[in-house]
Formats: sequence, C-alpha cells, structure tokens
Amino acid sequence: MIKVTGLLKRVATQSGELEILRGIDLEIPTGASAAIVGASGSGKSTLLGLLAGMDVASAGEIRLGNAVLGELDEDQRAQLRADKIGFVFQNFQLVPALTALENVMLPLELRGTPDADVSARQFLDAVGLSDRLQHFPTTLSGGEQQRVAIARAFATRPAILFADEPTGNLDTHTGERIIDLLFDLNDKAGTTLVLVTHDHRLAARCDLRFSMSAGALEKATD
Amino acid sequence: MTLRFLGRDWRGGELGVLLSALILAVAVVVGISAFVSRLQGALLSESARFLAADLVVSSATEPPDEWLIQAQAEALSVSQTLAFPSMLVGEGDDMVMVSVKAVAPAYPLKGTLQISDNAFSEVRTASDIPALGEIWLAPRLFALMDLSPGDTVMVGEAALRVAGAIRGEPDATTGVFGFGPRVMMNLADIERTGVIQPGSRVRYRFLLSGEVDALERFEAWVKPRLGQGQGVQSVKQSQPRIGDTLDRAQGFLLLAGSLGVVLAAAAIALAARRFGERHTQYVAIMKSLGAQSVVIDQLYRRSLLMLGCLATALGCAVGWGIQEAFITVLDTLLPFQPGAVGWKPFAIGGVTSAVCLGLFAWPPLRRLSEATPLRVFRQDIGFDHAQRPLDHLLGALALVGLMWWYSNDLTVTLAVVSGLLLVVLAGWQLARWLLRGSRRIGGFAGSIWRLALAGLQRGGNGNAMQMVIFAIAIMLMLLLTVVRSSLIGQWQAQLPAGSPNHFLLNLAPEEREPLQTFFNDNALRSEALYPMTRGRVVEVNQQTLPEWDEVETGPRQREANFTWSAVLPPDNILLQGEWWQAGTEDQVVSLEQEFARELGVSLGDHLTLRVGAHSFSARVTSVRKVDWQSMKPNFFMVFPEAVLERFPGMYMTSFFLPPERKSALNRLIRQFPTLTVVELDLVIKEMRSIVDQVARALELVLAVILLAGSLVLIAGVQSSIDTRMQESALLRALGAGRQLILGSLWIEFAVLGALAGALAAAGAELAAWALQTRVFEIVWQPTLLLWLTGPLVGAVVVGGLGVWSCRRIVSTPPMHLLREV
Repeated sequence: MIKVTGLLKRVATQSGELEILRGIDLEIPTGASAAIVGASGSGKSTLLGLLAGMDVASAGEIRLGNAVLGELDEDQRAQLRADKIGFVFQNFQLVPALTALENVMLPLELRGTPDADVSARQFLDAVGLSDRLQHFPTTLSGGEQQRVAIARAFATRPAILFADEPTGNLDTHTGERIIDLLFDLNDKAGTTLVLVTHDHRLAARCDLRFSMSAGALEKATD
Repeated sequence: MTLRFLGRDWRGGELGVLLSALILAVAVVVGISAFVSRLQGALLSESARFLAADLVVSSATEPPDEWLIQAQAEALSVSQTLAFPSMLVGEGDDMVMVSVKAVAPAYPLKGTLQISDNAFSEVRTASDIPALGEIWLAPRLFALMDLSPGDTVMVGEAALRVAGAIRGEPDATTGVFGFGPRVMMNLADIERTGVIQPGSRVRYRFLLSGEVDALERFEAWVKPRLGQGQGVQSVKQSQPRIGDTLDRAQGFLLLAGSLGVVLAAAAIALAARRFGERHTQYVAIMKSLGAQSVVIDQLYRRSLLMLGCLATALGCAVGWGIQEAFITVLDTLLPFQPGAVGWKPFAIGGVTSAVCLGLFAWPPLRRLSEATPLRVFRQDIGFDHAQRPLDHLLGALALVGLMWWYSNDLTVTLAVVSGLLLVVLAGWQLARWLLRGSRRIGGFAGSIWRLALAGLQRGGNGNAMQMVIFAIAIMLMLLLTVVRSSLIGQWQAQLPAGSPNHFLLNLAPEEREPLQTFFNDNALRSEALYPMTRGRVVEVNQQTLPEWDEVETGPRQREANFTWSAVLPPDNILLQGEWWQAGTEDQVVSLEQEFARELGVSLGDHLTLRVGAHSFSARVTSVRKVDWQSMKPNFFMVFPEAVLERFPGMYMTSFFLPPERKSALNRLIRQFPTLTVVELDLVIKEMRSIVDQVARALELVLAVILLAGSLVLIAGVQSSIDTRMQESALLRALGAGRQLILGSLWIEFAVLGALAGALAAAGAELAAWALQTRVFEIVWQPTLLLWLTGPLVGAVVVGGLGVWSCRRIVSTPPMHLLREV
C-alpha cells in the first residue's frame, strides 16, 4: 500500500523558490492500479520520482508498505528500489552499450540474483522479444525498446511498478499493445501499478484515477 | 561482475579510448626511458674509447696485485699502461726525448689503436699490441731520426725493432701536451730496459671495463684504498667535450620523457572525463534500478584497477617494442652494442601508470556514484564532472613530481612547468576573451563563419578548456622541436668543416717566418702563432698551494701553458675585469673562468708563478670564457708581453690539413725536425660520428613525442564531438547543406587550433628560454618561426582532426545521428 500525506516539493530557481508539489495526499491499496493524469509541467513526473524514492521531498511523508521514505538515506532508498520497485520510463532509458538481454539482466545482476540470464530470457520471451536478445537498443524500434524496458522493470518481480508516460513515445497501435502487456503482467504478478499518462484510454483501465494540476492532486471523477 | 561490466563497456568504445591513453602513457615512459638507458650505456661505452677503458685508476707506482684480484673477482676485463719520458737512441746514435707508453695485452679495452707500416702511409686498425721486442713510433720520429721499419732503436738498455707508426691511440688526448713524441712498446719489455727505478717519474694506468654495476662496485672498493698519487678517472671526467654532448643529449631525452608524461596525463584526464560523462546516464539508470552508491563506487574502482593492470602490462610491452624499434632503426648506424634494458624503465612505467590512474583517471569517475537517479527523468540535470580545486592541485603536484622524478632535474621541470602555467593561466583568460571577441567578428561575416563562431562562443568554458589542452599539446611539441634544432645546430657549429685538425707545438721563435712560408707554399690556412711557456701556479695570495698529487680536489698547484698577448684572443669572452693596454708593464694576468674557479681565485688576487727556476707574481685583472670546442690554441693564463719576455718561449698554432694532403706532414717534419705535430683529425672524426648518432636518436624521440601529442589532440577533439555531432545533425535535419556544415566545423576547429597555437608559441618560447639558458647553456634567440608555425599548425591539425572526426555527420542520415546522440 502506498500512502502519501502533505507532500511538498520546492525547488530553487533564478526567480526565487518554486513550489512544484503543494500538499499532496494519496492512497493506493496493494495490488491496485492507479493513473495520474494532467497537463505537461503540472508536476506528475516529479511526484512519480518522489514516490519511487529517486528524489527527496521538501515536506510531508511517503510510506511504501512499512517503509517511510523520508527516514531512509540514498543508499537505503536504492536498496528499497532494488527490492520492491520497478520503473518504466517515457524515453525507455535503456543502456545503449548493452544488448536487450543485458539490459534486462542489469537489475538482476545488481541484486546478485543467480542465473540472471535465465530469468531475463523468460521476461523477454513474455514481452515477445525472444528473437531480439542480442540486439542493441539503437537497432530496435520504439515499441521494441519499451517492451525491453518493461521486461527489465518486471524482471525483479517488484511489489510496485511505476510507469512514466509508458506510451508517450509510441504510436496508438503500439501503445495499446504496451498497455495490454502492462496490465497482463500486473494481473499475473499482483503488482501495484502507478501510471503517469496523458492517455485517457489508458487511465480508464485503471482502478483509481487522479488528476494533477499546478502541483495539486485531486481524485478524478469519471 | 566487474569483468563482465568491463567487457560490456568495451563495446561502448569509451573504454577503448581510456585504455589507449593509459597504454600510451606507460608505453611512452617505458619506451623513452628504456631507450635512454640503453643509449646512455651505449654512448658511455662509445665515449669510453677516449679513455681506452670504462674506468681507469692511475698511480705513480706499480698497481698492487690486490687491484687485479678484486677486478677479476668482479669479472672485469683489465689491462695496464705505463707512461714515462725517456731518451730514444737511433742507429746513428741520434737521441730524441720521447714519451714512452708501454702497454699490456688487451690494451685498449675500449676504442682502437690506429697504426701504419710507415710514417704517413695508409692507416689501419691494430689487432694487437706491439709484439715483444718491437716498438711503434710517432710518424715524425721516422723523419727526425732517419728511421725505416725494421731498424733498431734503444730504450734504456733494450734494443727494439721498429715495426710501425702509431697514428691514433684512443687515450691520446690524456697528456697531449706532455713530453716528446710518442713511442709504444710491450709492457713485458720494460724490465729489459732497466729505466724504471724507484722514484722514476712514471704514470701507471690500470684499465678496467665490464658491467656497469661491477665497475661501480670496484670504484667504491678501490677509492678508500688509494694512496698518494693515485686517482680514479671515469668516462665523464676524462673528456669534457664528450661529457657536455652526453649531458645535453641525456637532458634532452629526459626532457622529452617528461613531456611524454605530461602529454599522456592530459590524454588520460581527457579520456577519463569523457568516460565519466558518457557513464553518468548509465549510473543514473543503475541507481534507478536500485544500485547503491557503494556498489557503483566499487564497480568503477575495480574496473579502473583491472584497466590499470592491463594497461601497465600492455604499455610495458609496447614501450619495449618502441625502444626495440629505435635500436633496430639505429642499428646500422651504431658501431657499438646498445646496453641492456634492465628493470628500471618498467618500474617507472608501473609507477606512472599508478599515479596517472589515481590522480588523473579516478577523480572524474569517483563522483559518478554521486549521480542522481533523477537524471532518468530529466537528462538536463547537470552533473558536475569538473575536477574540484583539490583534484587540480593534486594532479598538478603529481605531474610536477613525476616530471621531476623522471628528468631528475629540477630546473628542467620548473622550466617546463612555467611554460605550462603560462599557457594554462594566461591561456584560460585569453581563451575566454578571444572566444568572446570572435563572436563579434563573426557577426560581420558570412553565414558559415557566423555559425562557426557562434558554435565556439556557445561552448564557452568547455571550449576554453579544450583550447588550453590543445595549447599544451602544441606547446610541448613546439618546445621539443625548438630545443632539438638549437641543440643539434650548436653541436654542428661546434666543429664546422675546415676546423683546425692539427696542432703544432715547440716552434722556435726563429722558425716562425719559415713556417709561414711553408704554409703559404702549401696553400694551408693556419691560426695565429702563440708564444708558449710552461709554468706552474704555486701560491695564491702568498699561501702555498698543495702539490697536485697531495689532494684529489680543490685548489692545488697546477702546471699550465702561459702565453702573452696584447689583445684579448679571438673567440674569448671577457667575463670580469678589464683587458690591459697594449704595451703595459704591469705584472698582471688574465685567467680562464674554470681555471680561476678551481684555484679559488678572483679579481685582484695575487698569484705566485714559477717558470723553470724563476718565480714572479701577477695580479688577476680579468677572467675570460674560452671556447674549448673551437680546436684553436686556447690558454688558461694570458699575460702581457712584458711579464713573459724574459723567459725563453716556444710557439704553437693549429691548422687545417685536408685528409688527402696528409703527406705534407712528412715535408713539414723534415723541414722542422723539432716541431711536435698533434694529429686531431681522427679524434674530430670520432666526435662528429658521436654527435651524428646522438642527433639521430633525438629525432626518433621527437617523433614519439609528436605522436603522443597528436593523440592528445585527437582525444581533445573527441571530447567535444558528441555535442557537435548533435548540433550538426539538427542542422542537417533543418536542411543545412554539406558544405555549410563541413565549412563551419572546419572554421570552428581551425580558429580554436589557431588560438591554441598562438598560446602554445608563447608558452614554448618561455620554456625554451628557460631551458636553453639554464639547462643546455645555449645562447637563446627568439624563434620567430615559432609564432608563425604555432597558429598555422594548430589551425591545420586541429581543423583537420575536427572535420575528420565529424565526417560521419555528412555521410550518415540525420535520423540515425539523432537517434544515436
């Protein structure tokens, strides 16, 4: 279960301090899927980064299961990410020097999982890329790259999966296939899924929907 | 895991650049120091020819047996010579005072004996010493005593058969101005002569050669056991002229090595920085996937360590290859065997590798673990790769330390560092100021120029940094080229063609006119005639000096040739005091600077001098610098005529005799039987060949350094290639033509290179001035060419490299490029 209370994020800019997130409260039950929608620059990605423990809040509390993020240092948060969190990025974030297989093996190797390459092959097979194992990211299409990224995110069997605009860089048809894949894996693994998206069709498939506007979050009504 | 990561990184390419830079660093250092040490060994043994050995222990008494036993224990080769003056009695009972040299088997241990069958007939190399019962004579004795080969002469009670003429002996220069003409005989015949009695004025020389270490051990062993009248001579002391050449060559080679270290360090720092930049995103991804800082830190630390080991091993191998290639190239030119490589160069390579890794490669990587995972959301989040002030300080100190350790010469190090500082500090400011200015100029120019100059300006500090790096590389290359040229130029000027190659001594005053006529008749050119009186310095300011044999160093009594002159001899430079008025009656003297220093004498001091049985005193009124390399008559002590006129003096001069007219010497000696002729033509030829070899070696080393410099330039261009590729790809996507893009890239890099070249010229000039005046003792002249070459080379090379590195921009579809960058 994810629980956020009174979350604030301020950054210093040339024209003074800027408040990006202003007092966010949020609760997502374990195993649920949630969508956060909103215009560009409304603070969605910042919120996601904070939830995944990649950034530090200015005030407020984030609770992931039993862990309170504010009480952990950078290394403990990294450990938490390694153990519990998966992430899918809008721009895929594959390491260009690694093959598709090696990209998926990377988080497993960082955790010291034995037989990393066996699991990685299984997940690449699950996203339909068993014939692309030795391809480098630049030789894959956008959809293929995102499927590699999804395989990588699920490879560690995370309790929570965050996805930042997972279909933002893809055409409609490919986008739909990626969404199916995400929900399919979510169902099978019982993962909590948190999505940031522009895509209302994608948001519609989630159990919970939130709308972000100028740093404030409210529960969206259908 | 580290190995697996390294393996994957390898495909990325950046690792290759870093590894190459490290290998280059180790290879340059190992290659040059191995080459230097082998060459040093070789040159020393080459110079050992002038000593006829590697080490000589001289003694006024017969060398004790324990020397021989010790030398044999060290597995050294030994020989011995004995020199003394004696009367040579010919068949018609003519007698001539000669300088006898009796030699033992194996003499000379280094160099060769040149002999001929008759006085001035064809010269050949002797394969052995004079046989028992035989004697070789100086050529002039044949004419003087009317001797032919096969005749019998007497040395003391021994009758010896004349078997040849002695034309060149390796250690002839020791005591050239000594006694009469040389005769050489077998040491085993000495007892038969009966001339050596206790108290006889003789000089034994115990000759040794062999391994450097063994020689050093022997020297250390024998020194404390030396008694009065015994002393050790090694190559460097024996031949100041060769010593100078060697010292300068060695200085140059070590300078080159130090510059190699600087260049390699620059290449490593650049490559590591780029490696760090390229890896920031990788680290951010790993962190977003849950990698802890300590894991990442460990990963890069271990990677670097493995890389270091690999680079050290490969670098040592490549370095060994480099020096081996040098030796192979020089092989046909080297008449001597190069020394062994030894372990030291590899140790130097290892230390260099460790220092470079720790202080130049690690700092940009160390902070990689601090990269924020947030970069996966926003790549525009900056990451400060720039080294912090402490890193810079440590790096700079390490660099100075390495250079110092490597060159073993603080002056060399400081000279180069001052040039580098000028480039870095002034350069940084100037670079920013010029780059700003270039934008303004660009505003008035066409679109290619505007694009190029805007590119330069936009780069800002990055470009200034790059310019400083280019400037350093170009500066070091220019510096080495300038020093090499002036060094070689000076060596060649030392002995220009037509330099006097024969000395004439013992010319009686009344023979001056006839000798001049002889020269005119034979169309020979001679130097001025100098009166010469042999004398001795016995007191300084009424303090009696110790005898020459009593102490090993410091002020002591010295014999020297006195001359008189109304004017300062040509080629002499007055350093202190004033020259006297012609015709002065004052009791004064002018001293050569080294001579004055050894006597501990300065202006105004009074010397007591002895000529024959007469003593007189003279006040020092001037100190001169003398060009000993000129092969013209030179004197330690010059007096006004009034001081020396009461002493009987002989005259001396030097002249040039072309090799094909050598037979003129026969006529000369027949006409002037008492004249002593010293043939220096063989010595000069030897010296020329050494200088030629050294010059060639310097050129090879220069080539290696130029290569290293080019690699730094390439690394420098590479460091900014990503941004430039990206911009150019965008421009292409917007429809810019090939000509516009290549043209603006060409201008951008060429302007950067030209500015760097101008900076480099300034730095090189400063360092060259410091090196030439302080280290190499060469007259410094501003090198105008430098100020032309610097910017031109910079523009062409950097411009060319830049365009070449970006050539893919115009041949690859922009879509591909945009995807890659």
